[in-house]
Amino acid sequence: MGPGPPDVTALERLLGLWLRAAERWRILATLGPFVPLLLLWWAVAAIELFPPAFFPGPLEVARRALELAWKGILGAYLEDSLIRLLVGAAAGIAVGLPLGLLLGLSDRAHRVLWPLVLFFQAIGDIAWLPILIVWFGFGLGTMTFVIVYTVMFPVLMNTALGVRSIPEVLPRAAASLGASRARILSEVVLPGALPNIITGLRNGLGFGWRALVAAEIIVGTSGIGFMMFDARRAGSVTEVVVGLAVLGIVWSIVDSWILAPLEKATGERWGLVAR
Amino acid sequence: MKELVVENLSKVYFDPRLGERVTALDGVSLRITPGEFVAVAGPSGCGKTTLLNLIAGFLEPTSGRILLDGREIDGPGPDRGVVFQSYALFPWKTVLENVAFGPRMRGLPRAECEARARRWLELVGLGHVANRYPRELSGGMQQRVGVVRALANEPEILLMDEPFAAVDAQTRMTLQEELARIFEERRPTIFFITHDVNEAVFLADRVLVLSKGRLREEIPVPIPRPRRWAALVENDSFKALVGRVLQAVRTA
Repeated sequence: MGPGPPDVTALERLLGLWLRAAERWRILATLGPFVPLLLLWWAVAAIELFPPAFFPGPLEVARRALELAWKGILGAYLEDSLIRLLVGAAAGIAVGLPLGLLLGLSDRAHRVLWPLVLFFQAIGDIAWLPILIVWFGFGLGTMTFVIVYTVMFPVLMNTALGVRSIPEVLPRAAASLGASRARILSEVVLPGALPNIITGLRNGLGFGWRALVAAEIIVGTSGIGFMMFDARRAGSVTEVVVGLAVLGIVWSIVDSWILAPLEKATGERWGLVAR
Repeated sequence: MKELVVENLSKVYFDPRLGERVTALDGVSLRITPGEFVAVAGPSGCGKTTLLNLIAGFLEPTSGRILLDGREIDGPGPDRGVVFQSYALFPWKTVLENVAFGPRMRGLPRAECEARARRWLELVGLGHVANRYPRELSGGMQQRVGVVRALANEPEILLMDEPFAAVDAQTRMTLQEELARIFEERRPTIFFITHDVNEAVFLADRVLVLSKGRLREEIPVPIPRPRRWAALVENDSFKALVGRVLQAVRTA
């Protein structure tokens, strides 16, 4: 008889336990990878490899975050940022969606406008800031422009793509069943393009969030970006790190709890649209 | 029921890659009387799908006219129901919603549309999948839904574009028999495109042979109905007709 299978090692046992737990509590799977990162951060800060004023540890950052939250500053700034994002995104969708439909439906509009769309989307949102400051000054106008601009292009381009990927036979079938042009738009074109529209929305909001923070840093008078830049001016690296953590946490939650499930649900329900 | 008349119909495309004009259809004339089943057979590229797309109103003729009940057609319309080779079901609608689509577009009350759709689904034995989505069905079942969706809208004429070409051979024979049964019971007017000579002879009252954009021959099929495969595979007059159509398709 040859040697039997080797015994399960303690490490394997631990791994199995972890995988089973992560399957049961999804949140563990999300947070798990952060544990070693936090430990490493804590260790590097604890041995004071860098001066503590430049490199605060996780506990200090957490304490500062709680302080800011307790005073209401963190909540108020976060609210400001999110409201700006929502207002700007709504405007960006209001412009991008109809334009995307036009570019998707009309070959002529596509020929004429597509090169312009590619040109303007290639100019990064932040690159507009110098001239926007001249036009709109330091404030809401400039920030709104940046978000609208950032959200508009992914929505526009994905909507156009979605409309153009609808098989030709579907609008034809609808027309020969008696649907008017308006009904073809609402019953075939919009639902057919919906998975792409949602993808565009998810990308647009993600880019918009990043662009917003950049705009707040430069022209803001409130918001998370402003908080971080203001903290740098006051010499509080801890507060800057609080801002970084908040940005990452908020967007992870919005994206993985709201946007990604929405995208997945439409894509799955629509199934064979993009055959 | 109304008569369909096609007069001297031509379609010329400009092919930008070849840089030249291509004649897809060259002076085709035909007449389909109410309650008639007419099949057009021909090799791929013979212009048969172009002919159907013109009658459906998806394409505009270069010259010639298409008249339904004496009136020239203008774009697609519910008087000409279409069954597509790729089924063309709306993937985001259930089977019931797909079948109820036509009546709903005509402004009938929702409850009535759904009741009518359900009746038609029962008729072809699909009542049990009414609330499923098309992707959950086999190809054969999807095309049954496609046929029923067109019929439930009560068109003057049913245009079928190689509807059974994408399903497996066994399912195809079942679908052909089902279509024959529906035709025998309700006598809709049907214009049927196919490259399958057996299918054309099995189903139609009349087979038109199309080649290089022209109608080459018209072969009546005087085989009595009801028609079922079990009785026809060994039937001499069926085999003789298939041979005749095959000959016409290959020499045309």
